[in-house]
Amino acid sequence: MKKLMLEFKKLLGDPVFLGYKRGSTIPVFDEIRSISELPLEISDVQKPGKYEIVEGFRFRHSHSSPKWYLLPPEQVILTISPSYDAIDSGVSEGRRAVLFGVKPCDLKAIAVLDKILLDKHPVYTAKRRGIVGVVVEECMEPGGTCFCASVNSGPIVESGFDVAYARLDKETLLLKPGSDIGRQVLKSMGLERASSEYTELYKQMVGRAIDSMKRKLPDLERAQRALRGLASSQEFWEEISKKCIGCGNCNYVCPTCFCTEFIDRVGENHAERVATWIGCLTYTYGLVAGGHFRKQLYMRYRHYTLHKFLYYPLQTGGLLGCVGCGRCITWCPIGLDLIENLSRVLKVKNVEA
Amino acid sequence: MKPENPFLLERSLVVGVVDEAPGVKTYTLRLSSSYSAEPGQFNMIYIYGLGEVPLSISSPPLKRGSFTYVEHTARAVGAVTGAILSRVSTGSLVGLRGPYGRGWPLREAEGRDLVVLAGGIGLAPLRPVIKCVESSRDAFGRLNILYGARSPEYLLYKYELEEYARIPNTKLLLSSDTASPSWSYHVGFVTDLIEYIDVDVGDSVVFVCGPEAMMRTSVKKLLNRGFRSDQIYVSLERRMRCGVGVCGTCQLGHYFVCRDGPVFSISELGEYFWIEGI
Repeated sequence: MKKLMLEFKKLLGDPVFLGYKRGSTIPVFDEIRSISELPLEISDVQKPGKYEIVEGFRFRHSHSSPKWYLLPPEQVILTISPSYDAIDSGVSEGRRAVLFGVKPCDLKAIAVLDKILLDKHPVYTAKRRGIVGVVVEECMEPGGTCFCASVNSGPIVESGFDVAYARLDKETLLLKPGSDIGRQVLKSMGLERASSEYTELYKQMVGRAIDSMKRKLPDLERAQRALRGLASSQEFWEEISKKCIGCGNCNYVCPTCFCTEFIDRVGENHAERVATWIGCLTYTYGLVAGGHFRKQLYMRYRHYTLHKFLYYPLQTGGLLGCVGCGRCITWCPIGLDLIENLSRVLKVKNVEA
Repeated sequence: MKPENPFLLERSLVVGVVDEAPGVKTYTLRLSSSYSAEPGQFNMIYIYGLGEVPLSISSPPLKRGSFTYVEHTARAVGAVTGAILSRVSTGSLVGLRGPYGRGWPLREAEGRDLVVLAGGIGLAPLRPVIKCVESSRDAFGRLNILYGARSPEYLLYKYELEEYARIPNTKLLLSSDTASPSWSYHVGFVTDLIEYIDVDVGDSVVFVCGPEAMMRTSVKKLLNRGFRSDQIYVSLERRMRCGVGVCGTCQLGHYFVCRDGPVFSISELGEYFWIEGI
């Protein structure tokens, strides 16, 4: 792992490394200064409404994600004087960075955000254009709320990376290149070609990983059809959102949620215009001075669900807004289960059919 | 490479203010000569330290010398519009960026009859349409203007409203929800006036703007009168922050109202127009 980092450093001219950084508590997505900061010796235990760090070697992810870097909770978009002169355009060039050890679901989430924000949102664009390398950790043992296989975003990657590795056990890494840079890196690391013993083990582990994901969406297209049919059913959405408390946690931890609110932070002789995250589950989403376009919680819950499964594909040229990471389930304070709700969508529609 | 910042503001001087109705004023802003906008588009107006609001452009941009002038009609409803109404006067500065969005499809209306249907402050984004039709009168067929407010004092542009009737081949129908002694037009809802529309229904377009409930009633009645859903256009309001389709707060179904709208045909909106809170 150290060698891998070094080779990237050499080849790409000393970029910064960004990844899940081990702190005193839960890892967050941040700059990695040494290999010891990677969460290589911990695992997470995830259940609806539960998250715990334990000893192990299967860290999946946390509430944090690459979104923390690319579209941080606060983005200064302009600094302006009281006489309306721009003091700072708020946009600087993004740092040359390598994403290190991101997960397949993270990679998919970036592809989704690219479709919405790249070359449109200045802060996102600057940071995103600075990413010069991508190293993915494939998931050989998915977490307790993961369902990436159901939405085609994991547990392994096919494209969009330079190097991907799989931890076959605590000590054994199986690496694969995904680009010319990746091939060059692996070549200069002087690695041996993996024997069929290892590649067979890898295939078995991937198969087991897919099978072990308890949450499954049996038929995505059927679920989408059912959602389309239920869009106007107030009764259904009221029932399904009954337990939701509208806190917006799912929005903030979701690696594809991108909605922001603009606020002014006023200093002595300037004001900063700041974009801050706003969750569509929270009351202010849709609120305007003259009224409210999504006053009832069921409306906001419906938007969240329909956006992920019906509207993102229309906005991104086919990509789902859900990457199956399960964060919204883990970090929901009352453990509301998106997949369980989608299964109910199918049931309701079945009954009606 | 440093990307362009779409949130930069142009400093704009307020060169005129007109009282329109209680809590409603029209501001004339001076901008650089390169500014241009289409009827139905909007600008983001920024008040230092408070924030931005989307305001529709209520006049065709006017080029004079090295400047362009545009008007905005604003009603005090929230913090920013409240500050505009109470603090901004001739000689004030404001920040501005725009224009944004997709406006009224005037090209679609060329050679056909046109109905302009507005409620209350909803006339603001339609006023440039009326002015454009007036200045290229031969390009359009009959023009029907249907406009109403809750009482006569809430009508906008009272200083020129009745002159619209003198535009050739134009029918002006006004309404007030409540009666008043000097009011000689219809008493009732503006949607009542739909039955008096005098255009070739099969070869016309309708532009509607007003409160959402008024627009829904209007569209129902227009559909009943035989207008097709692809002939009827509405201008929608939503919580908007960026104007360029990245902040996500104006989403309506899969549309970003700020970028894909604010003007949509009813056929484009489909069920989004009818489902509350979608």
